[in-house]
Amino acid sequence: MIDFLASHSPDIRHWLLLSAVLFSIGLYGLLTRRNAVAILMAVELMLNSAALNFVLFNRYLMPGMVDGQVMAIFVIAVAAAEVVVGMAIFVALFRYRATIDVNRMDTMKD
Amino acid sequence: MNPDTVTGAVWTVLFYVLGAAAILLALAVVNARRLLRAAIYLMGVLLMSAGLYVLLDAAFLAGVQVLVYVGGILVLIVFAVMLTRSADLLEDNPSLRRKVLGAVASIGFLVLTAAVFLTTPFKPLAEGTPPKDDALVIGRRLLDQGPGGYVLPFEIVSVLLLAAVIGGIVVARKTPPPEQPFTSGGDRAGEADLVLPKSQRPARRAKGNP
Amino acid sequence: MDQLGFALRNAWLVPALPFFSFGIVGLFIRPLSKKAAGIVGTLAIFASAVFATMVAWEYFHLYPPGAVHPTIVPWSFKWLAYQAGLTVNVGVLVDPISVLLMIVVTWASALIHLYSIGYMHGDEGYGRFFTYMNLFTFSMLGLVVAPNIVQMYVCWELVGVSSFLLIGFYYSRPSAVAAAKKAFIVTRFADLGFLIGILVLGFYGYQSFAELSPAIAAQWADKGVTNLQAFDFAYLTDPSVLERLAAPGSGILGMSLLTMSMLLVFMGAAGKSAMFPLHIWLPDAMEGPTPVSALIHAATMVVAGVYLVARLMPGFAASGDALLVVAYIGAFTCLFAAVIGITQDDIKRVLAFSTLSQIGYMMLALGVTTMSHPLGYTAGMFHLFTHAFFKALLFLAAGAVIHAVHSNEIWDMGGLRKKMPITHATFLVATLAIAGIFPLAGFFSKDEILAAALGNHFYLIFAVALLVAGMTAFYMFRIYFVTFWGAHRSPHAEHAREAPAVMWVPLTVLAALSVVAGFVPMAEFVSIGASVEHEGIDLAIAIPATLAALAGIGLAWFFYAGDPRRAERAVEVLGAVHRTVKRKFYIDEVYLFITHRIIIRYISRPVAWFDRHVVDGSVNLAAWLTSTLGAGLRPLQTGQVQTYGIFYVGGAMFVLLVLWAALAMK
Repeated sequence: MIDFLASHSPDIRHWLLLSAVLFSIGLYGLLTRRNAVAILMAVELMLNSAALNFVLFNRYLMPGMVDGQVMAIFVIAVAAAEVVVGMAIFVALFRYRATIDVNRMDTMKD
Repeated sequence: MNPDTVTGAVWTVLFYVLGAAAILLALAVVNARRLLRAAIYLMGVLLMSAGLYVLLDAAFLAGVQVLVYVGGILVLIVFAVMLTRSADLLEDNPSLRRKVLGAVASIGFLVLTAAVFLTTPFKPLAEGTPPKDDALVIGRRLLDQGPGGYVLPFEIVSVLLLAAVIGGIVVARKTPPPEQPFTSGGDRAGEADLVLPKSQRPARRAKGNP
Repeated sequence: MDQLGFALRNAWLVPALPFFSFGIVGLFIRPLSKKAAGIVGTLAIFASAVFATMVAWEYFHLYPPGAVHPTIVPWSFKWLAYQAGLTVNVGVLVDPISVLLMIVVTWASALIHLYSIGYMHGDEGYGRFFTYMNLFTFSMLGLVVAPNIVQMYVCWELVGVSSFLLIGFYYSRPSAVAAAKKAFIVTRFADLGFLIGILVLGFYGYQSFAELSPAIAAQWADKGVTNLQAFDFAYLTDPSVLERLAAPGSGILGMSLLTMSMLLVFMGAAGKSAMFPLHIWLPDAMEGPTPVSALIHAATMVVAGVYLVARLMPGFAASGDALLVVAYIGAFTCLFAAVIGITQDDIKRVLAFSTLSQIGYMMLALGVTTMSHPLGYTAGMFHLFTHAFFKALLFLAAGAVIHAVHSNEIWDMGGLRKKMPITHATFLVATLAIAGIFPLAGFFSKDEILAAALGNHFYLIFAVALLVAGMTAFYMFRIYFVTFWGAHRSPHAEHAREAPAVMWVPLTVLAALSVVAGFVPMAEFVSIGASVEHEGIDLAIAIPATLAALAGIGLAWFFYAGDPRRAERAVEVLGAVHRTVKRKFYIDEVYLFITHRIIIRYISRPVAWFDRHVVDGSVNLAAWLTSTLGAGLRPLQTGQVQTYGIFYVGGAMFVLLVLWAALAMK
């Protein structure tokens, strides 16, 4: 049993599939959710899966280097900045419209 | 029993467990109707990701993930949920059409991406073993001024964070509260007149043209 | 062509002077000074008249009377060059009949312009009047000197336009506007036939052009026709071309092409010359000012049709059937108009019907012509010549009378013999002339027509013409007696005064012309085909004609110069017949019925419906489609970011797919 498990350690493709699934779930959340904060959470999901992608490529394609991890750090930093600004906008928007239901933000039509 | 074999087996089991947990939690994030719960589920996903980083020999990164992502960003998200009064409300369900379309788009994307990378042979570009003292190596790379160094992006990221902080403060700063909140949903001209102080009201546009 | 004198070389001045005057008076002088407009306009026409006389003088010096009178084209230039052989030139054609008409048109127009200075004095549109009269004179002259059928058609239409403008001169009067519309529509309708005739002639003539034109061009080279075209009269009247067109059965209904096209052209001529049944516009055209009636509807425009037939006489003669049609329609109109003229009470209407009748004479004269006995041609032209003078005189004198009495009705006049002596004398001269009394002009011209009819064995037409001669005398003297004799029938008639000099001078000039014009030996000047033997007065014809005229005069004297009750009793006796005739045989009502009930209801309405719903409908349909499509696509713009996100993802995937496929295929 253990040998079986050991010999079937996850390959790069398994990892890529995992990160792709996480990304797609985030995408679904992005396209579907009505609350703006919920959308932002979905975006975080997607960013997280992108960072995971960097790291796994680093591990499988150039294990001696750390470039992928450095990129992941940058991704995290940018995600932080983005969340800050996004939240500020939502707060201001809520103050203006008393709602952050994105379906109500439709003044771009016509 | 070979310790490496055991390690390998444990690694495999951990991968599948953490991976499955992450996926389930992610599904919960995008489907939860109570937003605080969604935030907690997101925390779960991030923690699972940290675990996955450890599996990938990126221990330092796992720590960073927990500290920054979970400890900072998620807290910020929770704050936002509170400030926009979305904590208690049950979020309305999106229409079935929207859900179907979203599902189609994301599943389509998944299928396409999977098709691409499942048919691509990934050959290692460089040989080597993951370094044991990755914190040191990462730190060195971040401040490395030579070619292949990341000092410039590092500095720019710090500026970016500063800008984000300032921008956040400016955008979210309190303006006088409205007398009555507008829930009409229409962005008619003049609404801003009642919300903003007189000095900040937009210039009058021609009558009858919203 | 080098022997041409100054006038002939510059013959284009004859139509050009009125044209320039039209432009200058209309644009520049009229807004400044009304009086100057009248004077300049009149002077220009007099200048043109003098020049036309010089042209006539030079022409008949070059080709003395009695000899052959060729047609020459002393001036032309290329106007519309469609292709070689189908080019429309603008030019001046000089031959006996065009010289004749040039003289008639210019002098009549000049005298009437002079008369109008007095008649139209004080009118609002004084300047406008002279502008239009100049335009008309130019158009008529352009028509007369046209060397090809297209220029003639263009000027024909211009004449129609000027006539419209002048009939509707008092545009604030609905009856005038209606009359102008009627004239224009009827003549325009007739011109449709003319145009189709031109097209037929041009098309089929052009088919033989390449083959026949070199020979024809050679003949005409020394007559100034430097580039012969398929539209030129030189080409269309050439025997070789006519022979081609006269091939039997080449047209529709078994007619030859020639007959068909000649009949179509005659339709145009019949419209302009008010032949039955296209005569309805002429009586109503009297709504225009009297000088207009005198110039246009007596002397010049209405004879355009006669001129057209004369110009294309070789064609008509080659197609015997067309000429028969001309003769019989002319004769019928002659009789028809005379019968109606007897019953009318409006002096201008009587004169209008009289004009119809006399033009009928001219047409029938042309109709009885054959190339071997062409007396009718000369006779018709002669009558045109003399008629212009005495008819213009009649109208002008009537105008003076109307002016004095403030009414058109003869029953408001009476006893004007003593009040307006000059007008009376000239009117009498004209009436005697039109009745055909020796030695006035009408006698000679009418006699020649009768002789022509008899000489070519058209006995029925001769009888009709003779009868109408008597009727003419009757109705003309009817109005003479009622107007100038008897008691004053209205207060205005009592206080009538003679017309001012500027009005009676033209009257006297025209009266003089009416006397002497008959002595012109027309056959020496105007002839076609075989030479005409002119033995002087043929008593076999002169005596019956004069007797008929005297009988008419006597009858008129009986009824109208004495006890008015005789006339009233006669009217009672005739009762319904009289009423029908007075109502012009209800032809106007028939036309109205046809137009309103049939054409408007069954043709115009469906066409209008079609235009509104199908033509406009398809345009509206295009617009509706566009807006519906737009409205259908509008929901895509929800304004919601997530919608756009879905589209974005979809698009990105599509691109990814394409790239991947491209990569895979490589």
